[in-house]
Amino acid sequence: MVENRAQSAHVGPGFWSVTAVLGLLAIASIVFWYWFPLEQYLPAAIVTARQVDTLFRFMAATGSALYIFVFGYLLYFAIAFRVKPSDPPDAIGVQVHDNHRLEFWWTLIPALFVVLLSVVSVKIWYEIMLEPQNGLVVQAIGHQFNFTFRYPQINGEITDEMHLPIGVPVTLNLTSSDVIHSFWVPAMRLKNDTVPGLVTSIRFTPRLTGRYQIICTQFCGVLHAQMNKQVLVVEDKASFDRWYQGWQVKNAHVSNALPAAGGAAVALTGGSAPAGQTLFAQKCSACHAIGPFNQRIVGPGLKGVLHDPSHPDLVNGDPATPANVAKILQTGYVGSLGAMPNATTNGLSNQDIANLVAYLDSLK
Amino acid sequence: MSIESAQMTHAGGIAGHIHPEPQGFVRRYVFSIDHKIIGIQYIITAFVFFMLSGLLAETIRTQLLNANGGFVSPETYNEVYSVHGSAMVWLVVIPLLTGGFGNLIFPLQIGARDVAFPWLNMLSFWIFPVAGLMLFSSFLMGAPTAGWTEYPPVSLQGSAGTSMWAAAIFLVGVSSTLTGINFVVTLVKMRAPGMTFTRMPLFCWGQFATAPLLMIATTALAAALAALFMERVFGVPFYDPTKGGSPVLWQHMFWFYSHPAVYIMILPAFGIISEVLPTFARKPIFGYKLIAFSSMAIALAGFMVWAHHMFTSGLAPYLQLPFMILTFAIGIPTGIKIFSWTATLWGGKIHLTSAMLFAIGFIALFTCGGITGIFLAAVPYDLDVHGTYFVVAHFHYVLVGGSLMGVFAGMYYWFPKMSGRLLNETLGKIHFWLFFIGFNGTFLPMHWLGIEGMPRWVATYDPQFEFWNRFASVSSYVMGIGILVFFVNVLWSIRAGKKSGPNPWNGRTLEWMIPSPPHYYNFKNIPTVYGLPYDFSHPLPYTGLEEELTDAPPALAAGAH
Ligand code: HEC
Ligand SMILES: [Cu+2]
Ligand SMILES: [Cu+2]
Repeated sequence: MVENRAQSAHVGPGFWSVTAVLGLLAIASIVFWYWFPLEQYLPAAIVTARQVDTLFRFMAATGSALYIFVFGYLLYFAIAFRVKPSDPPDAIGVQVHDNHRLEFWWTLIPALFVVLLSVVSVKIWYEIMLEPQNGLVVQAIGHQFNFTFRYPQINGEITDEMHLPIGVPVTLNLTSSDVIHSFWVPAMRLKNDTVPGLVTSIRFTPRLTGRYQIICTQFCGVLHAQMNKQVLVVEDKASFDRWYQGWQVKNAHVSNALPAAGGAAVALTGGSAPAGQTLFAQKCSACHAIGPFNQRIVGPGLKGVLHDPSHPDLVNGDPATPANVAKILQTGYVGSLGAMPNATTNGLSNQDIANLVAYLDSLK
Repeated sequence: MSIESAQMTHAGGIAGHIHPEPQGFVRRYVFSIDHKIIGIQYIITAFVFFMLSGLLAETIRTQLLNANGGFVSPETYNEVYSVHGSAMVWLVVIPLLTGGFGNLIFPLQIGARDVAFPWLNMLSFWIFPVAGLMLFSSFLMGAPTAGWTEYPPVSLQGSAGTSMWAAAIFLVGVSSTLTGINFVVTLVKMRAPGMTFTRMPLFCWGQFATAPLLMIATTALAAALAALFMERVFGVPFYDPTKGGSPVLWQHMFWFYSHPAVYIMILPAFGIISEVLPTFARKPIFGYKLIAFSSMAIALAGFMVWAHHMFTSGLAPYLQLPFMILTFAIGIPTGIKIFSWTATLWGGKIHLTSAMLFAIGFIALFTCGGITGIFLAAVPYDLDVHGTYFVVAHFHYVLVGGSLMGVFAGMYYWFPKMSGRLLNETLGKIHFWLFFIGFNGTFLPMHWLGIEGMPRWVATYDPQFEFWNRFASVSSYVMGIGILVFFVNVLWSIRAGKKSGPNPWNGRTLEWMIPSPPHYYNFKNIPTVYGLPYDFSHPLPYTGLEEELTDAPPALAAGAH
């Protein structure tokens, strides 16, 4: 075959010059992605956002370099090797079936690249996981069609803006009162779904003051597109305290209030819900409605205090468990909503507490 | 009928006997058991649904011309994209590539007279238009609004059409499963003598990798849909967390199907490309064994990566890593294919026909979608762009730039085999360029729209994104015109196109050795196969084909089963 003889000598007209051009373009694209001022378009509001950008640059640079080679060769081969009018009608191409050396390399190189990319990704994933566990706790609760926020360590107040002090690690606990939403702040390069019945959390540390849009990215109903109106405000500690009317002072309440009345844990077995219901009408209904958390008389609504997925924690920051409810009834609690009297003030015996908890537990 | 029809169900096959062709329009063209007619029925039906869901796509783009929408109400808009996505996946791409081209071509390529179970094949087909009509009829009762993924609990709140949707998709699933069974058995049992697995054309390998996915993965979807239907209609709690259900359960079941489904939608297209490239480069496919093997590797690994769609759903963090790394690993066999196709062009005598342009366009666009797939597999980056237009860009690059370009390549390539006529090449090239340019104009900007903060599933959006959305919308009209050109081409060519003869492209696989369109019984004599089809410098590796293009009657062997 004529073609066979022709090809074995060299790899085709212009192959190496095309390769050189593609190589230069690939290098240019790598330089471009490492130079590109991402943060000018999208500020990096938390510490790990910059790591995510690093990962993006790495993938964009290697990906576009690879793409330039594939697309470049594709175009070059399609043009350089097309049939010419002078070719006989039955002209055939070079009859090669494979080339084991080539195949070896183009299996090995992507494999090594996969290993490298895995290492880079796991490393950055690990840095995100390493964010401190014991940060300021904030709850974000998804609703159709907004988020509400609570600061259980400070008090149980519901807010519709999310403020965070700069430089303080945050644990954001997410849940939903209805369907799945997703809490995304593009400036944080981080999102997580709010799943009803499930509390998930993400941890991060704000590094840049500013107002950042919060966007829901999981379809959640007819007004899903409108669920982008809220903001995350990262500010210095003083402004944050002012916004929260001095959260440190209230925080002090928490730590003072809890040990005040002390007392041994109440045995909860043997509580009677009907007896609890009678007691509730006598001693609690002045301040508490049997309704959702934000239906407030003095204290919050208590329907679902133990079974509302959007209410994973009690006002004092403890998880909503029967034992912790019993503890609040025993010790009382003073937060931003007001004062919840302790067992002595309310005149509750341990059996009363057990009955009340059984009653609250029966509300769903 | 009884004994007769029992034998008819084995039309064709290893024994090589021939049954008489059914007579009458209804038996031949409506309730046909001929794999070629069924394939064409699939293709026509799927293209009708393609037109409808294409109109929905243009409705989406028209709504997004303006940041505050205004073309349709948000409720309608949500219905429109949900049905668009569902229909494109289940009524267009999957049926075209499996029931359509699968039925039409691979039995010819392995030298069979039909698929293993022709009556089952007819059933598979007829379920499909019924399911399609059910899906579109959901508009009458309030179509589903939660996208093609229909995550509960929000899909539990959706209007009555959501239950209709679940029932319709369940039925397409049944149809797919039956097709899968049929294809596996056909490929295993009915290859012509000498057609070993390693002599099978790559399109057959594509179908062989896909069919088990159809069989196995679809059943998970069916279970998920049945549960959704029962919960919506009878109140049986599977997914509602306030009744003890788990919304994340749906996601696992759905993606356990839907990740393999992306391979159902791409492996047959890989197969088409692997046929078109050697034919028009006039040279053997580069690395036959690696391409065939990597299809199987992709299909197998495809079962183990579903949770890469769920990185933000509250998975235990350490579970994210194996899914991430396995997904990266799928890049290796995929890369091998891309490099092998590119290398197939090297040193060829390339004829840039419409089919070839679409095949080359396929490699260009699919590679781009593959690379952004790697971005999305990387957990930290996915936590940023999941649920945004970046994802929309990614999957349109693989599904439209990939699968649909593959379908078009297949249409230009095999239209002569279906109809005996060629599609017009000039219109074909106009179609290609309008489609290719319009496609990139539509979907390329979506990458940065997503990164900068535009979420999916929105009827209105932040005004800062208006420019690129308008750019995308106008480009989508260009793409739409390209598709119109294609339809005009098909309708015109089917009557007035140039007669193709048996083998217009000098193809070397078995379907080109017989008349276009083939006889009912495909082969007068079942050929014997001696090698791979792709050696252009060697004589054809078949014997027993001497009579195919003559007037000789078929060898009516007695029905020895
Ligand atoms: C004087 C009004 C008052 C009375 C009476 C009262 N509470 Fe409260 N309760 C409150 C206030 C105020 C809070 C919230 C404290 C805060 O967060 O600032 C509260 C909090 C609670 C909480 C925690 C709610 C949550 O969502 O975390 C429980 C449980 C509770 N009360 C149960 C009871 C029960 C049972 C009784 C009857 C024995 C009762 N309370 C009587 C005012 C009252
Ligand atoms: Cu939403
Ligand atoms: Cu997937």
